[in-house]
Amino acid sequence: MQINLTHSVILFSLVGIILAGSMTIFSVTSIDLNYFFRFLMITLISICFVATIFYLININRILSAGWIILVANILLVMSVEIFGQEINGSRRWLDFGFLSLQPSEFMKISYAIFTIQYLRFYSFKFSMFRSIFLLGVLFLTAVPIIIQPDLGTGVVYIAFGVLLLFICGMDKKYFYGLFISLVVMSPVLYNFVLTGYQKGRIINWFSSEGSVSERWNILQSEISIGSGQLFGEGFLASKQNEFNFLPEADTDFIFSIYAEQFGFVGVLAIFILLALFLLLTLRVLLRHNSLSNDLSPYYLGTYFIYVIGFSFLINILMVSGLIPVVGLPLPFFTKGGSSLLCFSIMLGFIFSARGFLRV
Amino acid sequence: MNNASLNSFKKRTYFVLFIFFGLLVLLIGRFFYLQIIKGPELRDQREQNINASELIYPKRGRIISKDGTVLAEDIKTFSIVVDLEQKPDYESMYLLSEIFSEDLLFDDIEKKVLSSLRFSFQETLLTNLSQEDLSKFLVRSSDLSGFSIKEDYKRNYDYHPSIFHILGHLGFINELDSKYFSERIPDYDENIWQKVGKSGLERVYEYKLRGTHGKRYFQRNARGNRKQITGVDNFKEGEELITSIRYSAQKLAFDLLDGKQGAVVAIDLSDFSIPVAVSVPSISANDLSGISSKNYAELLNDVQRPLFNRAFMGLYPPGSTVKPLLTIFSLSEGYTNWTETILDDGFFRFEEEQRVFNAWKEGGHGLTDLEKALVESSNPFFMNLATKFDKAKFVKFMQSASFGSLLCTDCYPHQYSPLINDSWKQKNFGKDLYKGDFINLGVGQGYMLTTPLHLALLTSAIAKKGKYQIPYIVNGSNQQELFLENNLTDYDWEKLHESLINVVYSPNGTGFRINAGNLKMAGKSGTSQIIDIKSKEEYDEVRQNPLLRDHAIFIGFAPYDDPQFAIAVIIENGESGGSVAGPIAKEVLELLIDAN
Repeated sequence: MQINLTHSVILFSLVGIILAGSMTIFSVTSIDLNYFFRFLMITLISICFVATIFYLININRILSAGWIILVANILLVMSVEIFGQEINGSRRWLDFGFLSLQPSEFMKISYAIFTIQYLRFYSFKFSMFRSIFLLGVLFLTAVPIIIQPDLGTGVVYIAFGVLLLFICGMDKKYFYGLFISLVVMSPVLYNFVLTGYQKGRIINWFSSEGSVSERWNILQSEISIGSGQLFGEGFLASKQNEFNFLPEADTDFIFSIYAEQFGFVGVLAIFILLALFLLLTLRVLLRHNSLSNDLSPYYLGTYFIYVIGFSFLINILMVSGLIPVVGLPLPFFTKGGSSLLCFSIMLGFIFSARGFLRV
Repeated sequence: MNNASLNSFKKRTYFVLFIFFGLLVLLIGRFFYLQIIKGPELRDQREQNINASELIYPKRGRIISKDGTVLAEDIKTFSIVVDLEQKPDYESMYLLSEIFSEDLLFDDIEKKVLSSLRFSFQETLLTNLSQEDLSKFLVRSSDLSGFSIKEDYKRNYDYHPSIFHILGHLGFINELDSKYFSERIPDYDENIWQKVGKSGLERVYEYKLRGTHGKRYFQRNARGNRKQITGVDNFKEGEELITSIRYSAQKLAFDLLDGKQGAVVAIDLSDFSIPVAVSVPSISANDLSGISSKNYAELLNDVQRPLFNRAFMGLYPPGSTVKPLLTIFSLSEGYTNWTETILDDGFFRFEEEQRVFNAWKEGGHGLTDLEKALVESSNPFFMNLATKFDKAKFVKFMQSASFGSLLCTDCYPHQYSPLINDSWKQKNFGKDLYKGDFINLGVGQGYMLTTPLHLALLTSAIAKKGKYQIPYIVNGSNQQELFLENNLTDYDWEKLHESLINVVYSPNGTGFRINAGNLKMAGKSGTSQIIDIKSKEEYDEVRQNPLLRDHAIFIGFAPYDDPQFAIAVIIENGESGGSVAGPIAKEVLELLIDAN
């Protein structure tokens, strides 16, 4: 195993993002510095630990259990209905005492493992049946998530599933078909599937006529971001947080607090670290001479890189008011065991792609 | 692995990468817009959300009488309010309803607590706590979390109704008030002061009495809860007003008039301040605070008009009390002298118009000179005199007597006595003044109207031999010396004063029955007719209706050898100036001089 400059930069960008995330979480939740170091340590150790486990386990073993993993995950999602804790009017979490998990978060991973295993069997050759079968599985497995109700996670799950199928080479006509049916179906979806609360969020995004409480979160988020100006208010100096003006500051809207503290410069820094991480991991992964005959690890790795990258973008698009608010965590920022565990597993998959750490 | 599928994989990966960077550029643009372009504006908005301030109202200044009685002062009041910082729980709500079971129902408490929390507005549960209630609360305050005591000020006036019209009252500001104050007070901010002086000294001296408000700056969180105080602008307490009112005399004058309708105004001749200004009937000034609109409407519609300040606003025909003033004018213009006589047979015949005017005394006063005309109040003498008046000179003289101009620097509201001239008559009757009008003016009837304050002022000018100043209650600085326009000799003045002394001390005098004793009072009585009456018989018929009876008027000053105070007393429908109004003037003057 050799470590070169590229690896160092990848590690540097990743640690940078995690450090920024931990600092922001710390500034939102506690003023105790010991807590900050403990939190940082827990994050780093758990990422290293989980990533290492997935790096060490033979990926073929995991892949061969693909359908079992998917079924188990679906069952967990549904069991939330029975055993889960209700938070904010929807049941998403399973309480394990030391941490509470949101099984729907892991569906992105489970579906990918299942799909890759399925396609590998056919040497990644799509037929009409396979395409429709995989899309069918994707939509069917999204149903339990959506009825939790957690439309945001469900929609994002479907979007990432479609991304996976695209990367794996499914024929373009299915994507056109999906796009057209989405456009056609949208009025039906809007009228019959969406709840008032969800409609409110969408109306709120398209116009400024939404009710005060609907506008409130996004307005306060924009105020936080804007208040950061060029250099930010400084670490621990977020007034929006101090005076509780930004709800959900430790979860969905954490990036607004980051932007208030570290300003446009800090935001650019995160964007640069993210771009570096994405470009360099992809570069290492897709280096021609490192590709072996089995493409599964590369499909999985590429997919997870994009899941991390787009999770970042979607969350930030949301907090900056460019898209409607969907409850999507910001990788390595959002406080929560599920999200941390989930992204750690993805990192494990990325780094375990054969040849990643070999030159 | 074939090259074709590898190429497809790579192409699609780059396509997604392209989308990724497209979105990233969009986000950079968005953050540039939010943080750099709109940053200052959004930060301002944040600061506005967080930083708030509240006004601190100072204690309003006291108003004190010249003899040291506190007429108006702010007293501390205590109320129980919902404490927004700590949510009241049901136990403390229940306890509160038990402690104050007579005044508070549990349901009402709950309702107010809920609305307080919902709107982040501090509701008041109980106001004006007694000392006993306050200690009841304080003893249990540790169990009454979520409720606290709020201190406030309440205006409290001396109970005696004589003082209401002088002090005025406070009320919630309206458009007229804010117009009034912004014309008089520099940088007036109508949004700061909720309760302002509506009349009287409370209005005129609003600026001094109210003081300067302070401001407390604090930061609050999204729920409106106060986090910390960041700064305080200190307030300045209101200034104290020392008035010229002699409260003992003021109360005496009121009590003497009580049950009637009328006014008493006295002027201190040393400085032209007003020691007594009473309007009857009146109310206790405290009665207006927190009055229901129904009761207020009742007061407004009361036929006795207790809210109307007769002393400064009431316009009455001066009747015979105008005679000394017209004497000065006539002597100045040479219309008469102290030796000229006429035969008063109880009538005055106005030859030009073939009209006959009745005088009050049947059979008349006989051969009458000026002194007798004053002492016995001969109407034909003055009617005859008035026919000689030159219109322009008369108007000019009346102007010098402050007809048609300001009569007090700080009486609010006060009415000018109209200046009767051609334009006044044109405006009211579409005609110029003519000789017949003067006959009525000569005996203080017809168009002539004065306020009690003006009568007192004219009496002062007579006592001070033509010199006077504009009277005041609080502030008499920068007073201009004014003069009645005259060229009277010392002899004329002495004769005039002597005549007025004889009004009171000569057995023929209309004020002899006052029995002024050793007060050394000079004066003049008058009755002013409310309706035009042709004969005594007709009056006897008219007087069946008390409201049509003549007003009784008396003006006077004392002591005559060194005048200290002048006074005017008007009793509506009191009929006899000398015997009804005069004794009141005497008693008030006695008290004023004794106290000096």
